[in-house]
Amino acid sequence: MPYHSFKCSECIPERKKHAVVKGEGEDLTSCLPEGYLNTIPGTISERGCAFCGAKHVIGTPMKDVIHLCHGPVGCTYDTWQTKRYISDNDNYQFKYTFATDMKEKDIVFGAEKLLKKNIIEAFKAFPEIKRMTVYQTCASALIGDDIDAIAKEVMEEIPDVDIFVCNSPGFAGPSQSGGHHLINIAWINQKVGTFEPKITSDYVINYVGEYNIQGDQEVMVDYFKRMGIQVLSTFTGNGSYDDLRGMHLAQLNVLECARSAEYICNELRVRYGTPRMDIDGFGFKPLSESLLKVGLFFGLEKEAQKIIDEEIARWKPEFDWYARRLKGVKVCLWPGGSKLWHWAHVIHEEMGVDVVSLYTKFGHQGDMEKGIARCEEGALAIDDPNELESIEAMKELNPDVIFTGVRPGEVAKKLRVQYLNAHAYHNGPYKGFEGWVRFARDIYNAVYSPIHQLSGLDISKDEIDTDKGFMTRQMISDVKIDKEAAAASDERQYTGDYDCVTKLRGKKYPKLEKESFSV
Amino acid sequence: MEDMMQDQINQLVDYIMKWCLWQFNSRAWDRKDQNEGILTKTMQILCEEPVERDTPAERCYWVEAVLLARYFKRNYPWLSKMDNNEIKLLMQGLKEKIDYLTITGSLNKELTNPTY
Repeated sequence: MPYHSFKCSECIPERKKHAVVKGEGEDLTSCLPEGYLNTIPGTISERGCAFCGAKHVIGTPMKDVIHLCHGPVGCTYDTWQTKRYISDNDNYQFKYTFATDMKEKDIVFGAEKLLKKNIIEAFKAFPEIKRMTVYQTCASALIGDDIDAIAKEVMEEIPDVDIFVCNSPGFAGPSQSGGHHLINIAWINQKVGTFEPKITSDYVINYVGEYNIQGDQEVMVDYFKRMGIQVLSTFTGNGSYDDLRGMHLAQLNVLECARSAEYICNELRVRYGTPRMDIDGFGFKPLSESLLKVGLFFGLEKEAQKIIDEEIARWKPEFDWYARRLKGVKVCLWPGGSKLWHWAHVIHEEMGVDVVSLYTKFGHQGDMEKGIARCEEGALAIDDPNELESIEAMKELNPDVIFTGVRPGEVAKKLRVQYLNAHAYHNGPYKGFEGWVRFARDIYNAVYSPIHQLSGLDISKDEIDTDKGFMTRQMISDVKIDKEAAAASDERQYTGDYDCVTKLRGKKYPKLEKESFSV
Repeated sequence: MEDMMQDQINQLVDYIMKWCLWQFNSRAWDRKDQNEGILTKTMQILCEEPVERDTPAERCYWVEAVLLARYFKRNYPWLSKMDNNEIKLLMQGLKEKIDYLTITGSLNKELTNPTY
């Protein structure tokens, strides 16, 4: 096994099996790190907890819901401005944050009364919202509060409300991934099959494992609707609580992030016979094939092809402008879970960047299998890295840019390595054909940022030319390109709108407005 | 001759492992079903044999098989020179290799977990 040993982790020998280098001729039978194990004591992991994985990743993107955290107020940290799971109802779900604010006396005497009071108060404060999710935390789990019983009591007292309870305290798994699993299973056990949304098409899907990061879901749903497909529910970005109760009525589950949502797809397959189709919404080739797959399933291949042709004609010349300038850029692909494999191959194939390392904070070995299969030889693959390992890897690999989360991103900046937010994006959406151009533009802006040159100068000792301005991005990037070939092409920089999502919200879809259909 | 077939199989394996996701479902039994269902249907399409797609699950396999067969035909010209027996032999070898990489030779310890 081609393990990689970090010098900084020599004192934690268990870490050795968590990093491998994909060498020449290596495949998945010889090159795979450990994964989804409890964090080793002594290593400062970057993972989140199982509560965070359940509430902040999966539950909270549901848009028409009061999301109540039953625990200390600190557990509600990841809310407004730390997540970008937007919605088309003025971002209700993360604009308002609810917590029971448990204190020491509640730990001693129990907090069930406090919980009931909070639930009723919240419904009274927002009378137009009739749906609620309640999340257990470490504190309320340890004292044994019966959240299910309280929810039942309230639903009996206020019959027009519906409450979902998620028992996924922070300690319920090695990482946030444990929480993904628990909430998937809790939702299908408690809620699927309890409501029947209106069916408006012959072709009906659930779009699963999609969280509407800066509008990803709305872009993809636009494509499906243009094909004449009804997206009955989205699990869970921009998703509606009652639509998600009707997931059993769809004909196909289209799965994007298998790491966070394959569980519910697998259960829907077992319990209702609905098949699961895994897709990639990022990149021209993978996205085109994904739309074709969904189209073929319903006999709508021509409709899918039409969209693909239109979108590629519109956006490819703009993508090519950036791709020409990104060739050879060294990238550390260090996201949380699924983007590890959604991006590992396609950023290399379509943008020409070199992925020198990939890591996952909370992925399983299955995610690393996909990532390692897709990346090029020589890449360093790390499971659940600690901060010192990340620093050592950056110093060794000397990447131009890191795609990662906010916290490790700030560490990268201190080493003067550019960083792009792989979780919440910089200027997303990144899904869709236009989104892929926006992603390329963000990478370009990061790699060739003028501030990058300026930040390397020390005015206390470096000689600063006062007769010269700083180099612009294009002055730096265009040194290495074939200018004649670029001038002869129809390539151009991005011309889309600052906000490419809001305009989709009022759009009409003739194929979904027919009077009758056979379902 | 055997070396040539092995090289051809490896080309197909490389494409699947890089661009497809269906071979990576999370449990061994599931991967077995996926590999069997999709690669059998791909072989049937390449051999111009009838392909069953009556149930939703079969239809899903068929969709993946259609795209795979199209890519193979477009990008590997040597495929058009093969007769049906050779294609079946090739696809059998491909399935064995994919099964090995994703199931029997896999280092993924979660594959044998009895539940999802």
